[in-house]
Amino acid sequence: MSFCETQLDRLAPLWERMLSHPFLVQTRDGTIPRDTFASWMRQDYLFVEAAIPFLAALIPKGPASHWEPMTQAIGALIRELRLFEERAEAVGVEIKGTRPSFTTHAYIQFLLATAQNASYEEAYTVLYAAEKAYHDSWRMVRDGLDRTSPWWPFVENWAGPEFGAYVAYLQVELDKLAREAGPERLHRMVEAFETTVRYEVAFWEMAMTGENWPGIPSTD
Amino acid sequence: MAFTDELHEAARHIWDAQVEHPFVAGISDGTLDRGVFERWVRQDYLYLVEFSRVFAWAAAKADRLEAMSWYAAALHLTLNTEMALHRQYAERFGIGSEQLEAERMWPTTRAYTDFLVRTAADGDMADLVAALLPCAWGYVYIAERLAASERPSDQRYADWIEQYASEEFREAADWLRSEMDRLAAAASDEKRARLTDLFVLSSTYEWRFWEMCWRGETWTV
Repeated sequence: MSFCETQLDRLAPLWERMLSHPFLVQTRDGTIPRDTFASWMRQDYLFVEAAIPFLAALIPKGPASHWEPMTQAIGALIRELRLFEERAEAVGVEIKGTRPSFTTHAYIQFLLATAQNASYEEAYTVLYAAEKAYHDSWRMVRDGLDRTSPWWPFVENWAGPEFGAYVAYLQVELDKLAREAGPERLHRMVEAFETTVRYEVAFWEMAMTGENWPGIPSTD
Repeated sequence: MAFTDELHEAARHIWDAQVEHPFVAGISDGTLDRGVFERWVRQDYLYLVEFSRVFAWAAAKADRLEAMSWYAAALHLTLNTEMALHRQYAERFGIGSEQLEAERMWPTTRAYTDFLVRTAADGDMADLVAALLPCAWGYVYIAERLAASERPSDQRYADWIEQYASEEFREAADWLRSEMDRLAAAASDEKRARLTDLFVLSSTYEWRFWEMCWRGETWTV
C-alpha cells in the first residue's frame, strides 16, 4: 500500500467518525439549523483565508514542478472565499469580522507553524489530509442533499470532479515524497497526518456545538 | 506610561486570574496534588523545546547585534541549561528523561506552541516579543507574588518559586520588556493594537496552560 492508503487505512475509525458526524449528516438531510451552518461558514471562512499564506509559504520549499499547481490552488482558495461571501449574502448571514473559535485558531496556528518550521513533506501531508477530508466529507453530503438547498454550491465546490482531480494529484505527489523520505521524516509525516484528521473532526464538532474559548474571566 | 504597562493593563484580568488559579495557589501553599503537578513538569518540557525555537527565530530577525547576542544566549540557556535543570527537576518526581522525551503534547500545549512559533516565523520582531512576553515576564510576575508569602513545606514547590522569582529570570523579563518598549516606540496605533492582541492571546494561553494542568486534558477526538 502507498503512504496515503496506509494512513487512511490506519485512521479509518477516525475517518468514519468524521463522515458520520452529526454536522455532515444533518447538512446532507437538510435538517441542519441555519444558525449552526452559518457559524460553520464564518469559521471556515477564516480557515480558508489562512490557507492562502500556508500554501504561499510552501512554494519556495517545494520542487519547481509543484509551483504552478500550488499557485493554482491559491487561486482556488480565493474563489472559495468568493463562494462563501456570495452564499452568505444569499442567505443573509454576516460572514466577516468573526473572531476565531479555539479550534479554528489552534488549527490555523498548526497549519502556519508547520509551513514555517516543519519539512515540506510534513506540510504537504497536512495539505493532502485536509483536502482529502473535505472531498470525502462533502461527497457524503452530496449523497442526499437537495440540489435546491442553499448549501448545494459547497457540495459542487468540494465534491465535484475538479476538486477530486486536485486531491488525486496531491495523493500521487505525497506518495512520491513519502517514498523518498527517511524513517524519521516519515514518522513525522504520519504524526502530521493524524493531527490534521483530528483537527478536521474537531472542526465539525466545534461547528456543531458552537464551542468557544473556555473559561477565561472576561472584562467585557 | 510605558507600552509594556499598557500591555499589562490590557491583560490584567487574565494575569490576576493566573495568580489566583487553584494550580498556582496550590504551589504557593503546598497543597497541590503531586500527580497534578507532574502534568506541568511533562508538558512544560515539550513547551520549552518550542520556546527555544522562538528564540532562534528572534536571533535570526533581531535588528541590532546586542539583541542578536541576547537571543542567542537565551536560546543557549534554554536549550542547554534550563532544559537540563528541568530534567533534573523531573527526576525528583520520578520522571526520567525517556519519559519526558516520549510525552505527547496535549491540545493546549500544541495550540499555544504552534501559535508562538508561527508568530515568530510570520511576524516581525515586535510581534514575536509581544507573543513571548506573557511567558517570560508572566512566570516572574507570578513567582514574585508567591515569593512574598511563606514558602510551601514541599521543597520541590519552594524551589519552583525560587527559580522563577530569581534575579536571573527577573533580569531576562526586564530586558525583554525594554525591548518591547523600544520596538513599540515608533509603532502606529494599528500596530500597537495588534501587539496588544498578541500579548492578550498569549496571556490567555498561559492561563489555559494552568487550567490544562489542573484539570488534565486529552484529545477529544
